Amino acid sequence: MSGKIYISRDGLAAAMEKLSRTMDVWTPAASAKDKWGVEFALYEPGVKPILDRQSTLSPKKTIFPQVEPLFQFERTKDPEDPSKTLIRLKDRPDAKPAIIFGAHPCDARGFFTFDKVFMEGPYKDPIYKDKREKTVIASVVCRECDDACFCSAVGGGPAEKEGSDIWITPVEDGYVLEAITPKGEPILEGLGAAATSQQEAAAAKVQEEAAQQVIAGGMKMTGETAEFMKHFEDKAFWQSAIAGCISCGVCTFVCPTCYCFTITDEARDTEGDRLRSWDSCMFYHYTLEASGHNPRPNNTDRYRNRLGHKFAYFPEKYDGMIACTGCGRCIRNCPASINIWKIAQSLKEQADACM
Amino acid sequence: MTTTDIEQLHKLMEDALPELEALIGWQPGYDALHAAPAIARTPEEASRLVFNPFCIHNLARTVAKTPPPPAKEGEAPKKIGVCVKGCDSRSIIALIQEGFLKREQLYIIGIPCKGTIDLRRLMKLAGEDLRAGVKSARIEGDSLVVEGAKGSRSFPLEKVLARRCMRCKYPNPVIYDVMAGDPVIPRASEEEAHKDVDAVENLPVAERLAFWQGELDRCIRCYACRNACPLCMCQDRCIAETRDPKWLPQYMGLSEKFIFHFIHAMHLAGRCTECGECERVCPQEIPVTLIKEKLNRITKELLDYEAGVSTEAVPPFLTFNPEELGI
Repeated sequence: MSGKIYISRDGLAAAMEKLSRTMDVWTPAASAKDKWGVEFALYEPGVKPILDRQSTLSPKKTIFPQVEPLFQFERTKDPEDPSKTLIRLKDRPDAKPAIIFGAHPCDARGFFTFDKVFMEGPYKDPIYKDKREKTVIASVVCRECDDACFCSAVGGGPAEKEGSDIWITPVEDGYVLEAITPKGEPILEGLGAAATSQQEAAAAKVQEEAAQQVIAGGMKMTGETAEFMKHFEDKAFWQSAIAGCISCGVCTFVCPTCYCFTITDEARDTEGDRLRSWDSCMFYHYTLEASGHNPRPNNTDRYRNRLGHKFAYFPEKYDGMIACTGCGRCIRNCPASINIWKIAQSLKEQADACM
Repeated sequence: MTTTDIEQLHKLMEDALPELEALIGWQPGYDALHAAPAIARTPEEASRLVFNPFCIHNLARTVAKTPPPPAKEGEAPKKIGVCVKGCDSRSIIALIQEGFLKREQLYIIGIPCKGTIDLRRLMKLAGEDLRAGVKSARIEGDSLVVEGAKGSRSFPLEKVLARRCMRCKYPNPVIYDVMAGDPVIPRASEEEAHKDVDAVENLPVAERLAFWQGELDRCIRCYACRNACPLCMCQDRCIAETRDPKWLPQYMGLSEKFIFHFIHAMHLAGRCTECGECERVCPQEIPVTLIKEKLNRITKELLDYEAGVSTEAVPPFLTFNPEELGI
């Protein structure tokens, strides 16, 4: 037996219902009635999964929520000495087991960037680690590549299994599911009937076709540190590259790899939370220093940093890993249609032309 | 735009460019359904500028908030050229009225606009067909014609235009130095312009509250709406982000979102020209311009004022009149 199972399109809700009894089930669904956008939501009866369209925001929020309390605090008076204030801390509860059901391969790979930063030291983040280890990622083979995609140029691909625990292949009327890591195996037990050889063959064909999609003209990219540094001071290049950038947080919030955060104490009366929340390097306050000085006062400085971080600084620090999965979300959702892939390309082309 | 119109536009740009510091316009985007703001300094760069129903960005914002710096440092800057649709031109007027732009520093190329496309509406209709490989798209009569990977498809404009364009009273630039193309007929009359506001307003209070709770709950506080607004002027001092004093917690609760959006709207009362950029850029499809449209209607009713139609007019909240008209 191959261990592959088949779930019919109509049976998907029942399968999710079953999973949701023991774990949080995150699945892409319409963000609201009559809206085009898709977002990852916790499964509950009535939620209709949309597995054939990319979500507006990546599923990073399932493991790295937009806001999360690191702990709660409470100030009390010391009954022995009322001039003293005591602070009582309350730990957060442990994470619940969860599954992301219907990620895309580029979404799954996004967590590699987080893993490097939050789990491989020197500072290990217990909150991230706890959730990451308890979350199973079930990805759908991608047949939805468009002109903003460039996954295969940065190490991924529409049929790239790396980063996923379960592989979902849409076939006619249903899905073939396959566990590709030990973490994925127990999830599939009893979740559906064993796939027939016909269904398996159909799935293999879908995967093959998906893998053959030509993305970003077949270009490949490695770390671009040298090219990036050559253009670092070239103000005209950056100004023309990002004409129209409004310095909002869309690109960083939709991104599956942007992991920057801020920490604030949010208190009301004597109680409060120490919150970790998404920050964006495109925001003015991101680099604002206590003195009032801001080393990145304008949008060109900020955008240069964003691109540099993904394609130069990160690979330099982490064994050549590019902190971008080519999902294309920042391109599609940018209010000014700024194309990070094209800018990264033109860094290279212009550097080549200089040589 | 027809081929003749595009030729005329390029001729106007070419003639103006030598006297300009730079010309802000639109260039083709990552596919045929996208355009992107561009800054042209050379005739070659200007020749790449385009105008089509995907030129959805309000360039008044670019010219006001991130104008191109002078090419040669130390020299007095020349005029900045900017291409405007009707809605963009009204923002320019408001910015001049409030002293953020100087008329004499601008060279305005006006472009009559047949409407801009709301890509999400288009994708909802077209689905898979237009996902990739679109070759070209153009307005023909009352339709958007798209040459896709699977052949040509036609969509009725009223099904794919942005909401802001469906209620547009000013498709023709109100302020300009030169105009490219012939004026077009406005799509909406005075009465029709606020029918979307009526639809929400006619809901019973509980439903209206539920409507806004449902919509604003999707907000991710990315501040694209605020940053895209040509007239939002607090920017780096916005109450949503300042730390000292700190007005809004980082929580993602409905109350934080409400406070941000309603303060944003209140700051635009009597100023908003309804360009609809806040709504267009929202990644979460929240109809945030509606709040400002409602405020504009109140401003019109109480103060008989419409923003962004005359550089001579004084915005009601920039003046003090002891006998406040109409109150």
